[in-house]
Amino acid sequence: MSLRRLFVLFMCAALLSASPASWAKRTWQLKFATLAPAGTAWMDLLEAWAEEVRVKSDGRLKFKIYAGGVQGDEPDVLRKIRFGQLHGGAFTGYGIGHFYSPARALELPFLFNSLDEIDYVRERFMPDVEQGYRDNGYELLGWMEVGLVRFFSKNPLYSVDDLRRQRIWQWQGDPMGQAFFDASGIRPVPLSIIDVYTSLSTGLIDTVYGPPLGALALQWFSKTNYVTNVPMANGIGSLIVSRRFFQNLPQDLQKLLKSTGKSTGEKLITATRRDNEASLEVLKAKGLKFTLNEEDLDVAELDRISARAGESLMRSGYIPEPTLSAINQWLAEYRANNKIKEPSAGDSP
Amino acid sequence: MTLLRHYLYGLLILLLLAGCSTGKMVVRGSQSIMDSSLETMNRETDLELARQAMPANLKLLEGMLIEDPGNTELRLYAAQGFYGYAFGFIELEDPLRAAQLYRRCYDHARIALARTGVKLDPEHSTTADFEAAVSQAGKRAVPGLFWTASCLSNWINLNRDSPASIAELSSAAVMMQRVLDLDETFYHGGAHMFFGVYYGGRSPLFGGNFERAGYHFRRAAEINNDRLLLVDLLYAEYLARQQLDQPAFHSRLTRVIEAPVDLYPEMALVNEIARERAARLLEHENDWF
Repeated sequence: MSLRRLFVLFMCAALLSASPASWAKRTWQLKFATLAPAGTAWMDLLEAWAEEVRVKSDGRLKFKIYAGGVQGDEPDVLRKIRFGQLHGGAFTGYGIGHFYSPARALELPFLFNSLDEIDYVRERFMPDVEQGYRDNGYELLGWMEVGLVRFFSKNPLYSVDDLRRQRIWQWQGDPMGQAFFDASGIRPVPLSIIDVYTSLSTGLIDTVYGPPLGALALQWFSKTNYVTNVPMANGIGSLIVSRRFFQNLPQDLQKLLKSTGKSTGEKLITATRRDNEASLEVLKAKGLKFTLNEEDLDVAELDRISARAGESLMRSGYIPEPTLSAINQWLAEYRANNKIKEPSAGDSP
Repeated sequence: MTLLRHYLYGLLILLLLAGCSTGKMVVRGSQSIMDSSLETMNRETDLELARQAMPANLKLLEGMLIEDPGNTELRLYAAQGFYGYAFGFIELEDPLRAAQLYRRCYDHARIALARTGVKLDPEHSTTADFEAAVSQAGKRAVPGLFWTASCLSNWINLNRDSPASIAELSSAAVMMQRVLDLDETFYHGGAHMFFGVYYGGRSPLFGGNFERAGYHFRRAAEINNDRLLLVDLLYAEYLARQQLDQPAFHSRLTRVIEAPVDLYPEMALVNEIARERAARLLEHENDWF
């Protein structure tokens, strides 16, 4: 065989290996981290997502899920994604603050009155959020929630004034918590979440906040006696992948990851809301008493707190003014539409 | 004949005085056989033989408990038996069935505990009431507390998707802490192994504490002169996996697999179960690290 023929053969082989047929056989592994422990409803849904992607991609895209926080907490996972050691993960407000901090407007204290309001605003806000993530190097795959955040306390709480008299934990380094406490005139005790349970036992703090399922999983409920009925905010979360990983995928796999991620997020929201509701019942059974009902609220004061927190986040640039205005506008729109639908006193049944 | 009649009358009076049924008498008379049976089971090195023998033994125990429901020792044997059978032979194959077996273990253990004067119902008690009841438990209650907490925690482990079961983890920890305070060496330092898993199997964000986990595993190993392979198995399965420490995961499980069969003859069955489970865990090494 002449050298030229050998070269032609080699070129043919190289061209063949770059053909769509061999492209179709290439496989990708998505290293994905989550704090959700194995066996929980969250993890079951994430595993089902991974399986759906594996099957629908004919094995070309596989997840390797690191469950239960084995890759560290959110700052650790973020760092590993930046270094390319991991490609994606499930994040709560902390991570979202790094992907696109304006998205955390959805966590403003006392902003929403119902889950329907949250859903209405979120739907309209999502295109901005998605673009914001993309501009910062992340692809949003699915939106989820941690749940409605309540106060858990050793002493009964009936007003914001009562809150001011407690030793309240603040999640160290969280701008949202800081904005809320500043706006409410509360001087909290900043601590890492790791130290909360022990600090409740020693009395360093006597009040904490979190969703009911979180209070059960972290066993804070066993060190507190009261839980507030009115939630202060809605904890958010999202499923993301780095743009670097996402852009390397062929288009069909990008579409698959996006569509399945979106529906997984929706399932996660349903499961979270269900489990948080069930957790409230468990808390009752465990002897916790519910305080701060709707009728105890000084609505004007809460509105002032919410507005002040929003303004301070706006000044720091964490949540820009246009985002805040848009959210307030959607909220007003929803409330106006809903008011119209409500039967007035003079309406016949 | 008269002598025989006297003997029978005497026996009848004895039975009446003792308030015992014939069944109960037979059960109590054969208790030493059960003691020996448990001992040989613990010394069994043939896993297949143990796997096949255990269900019959458990049913025999439950039958004996129908005759003698207040027999604390048999209750504890039943609890221990259901725990061992579920952990050793069922959990990895069929977690749903294992959860049910742990529940039966829990029921037996709780009855045994009540017989020592400590009536606990964690699922229907407030935290304060439960903690107060556990703090009253004395040394006599240690076996009941230990098996109640062990069975409850393994049941929770297989029901992590339920908020109600997650809430009970703190109850198991409260009972086990009492065991640790009263007798840290009970059942081969089992309370230390519990806290090794309790602190080692969770992210610090969820209450995990790797330093504490390491201490409890070390203490459990010391109590057993480093002969109980279950300690290494649980260290690898929970702490090393949670810390993403692949070298520790690999070396601990390799040690379990390569350990001699006669390392701890009195606990040979547990060591063989650990060996089999270690091999299964090693198959997942590339998935987890």
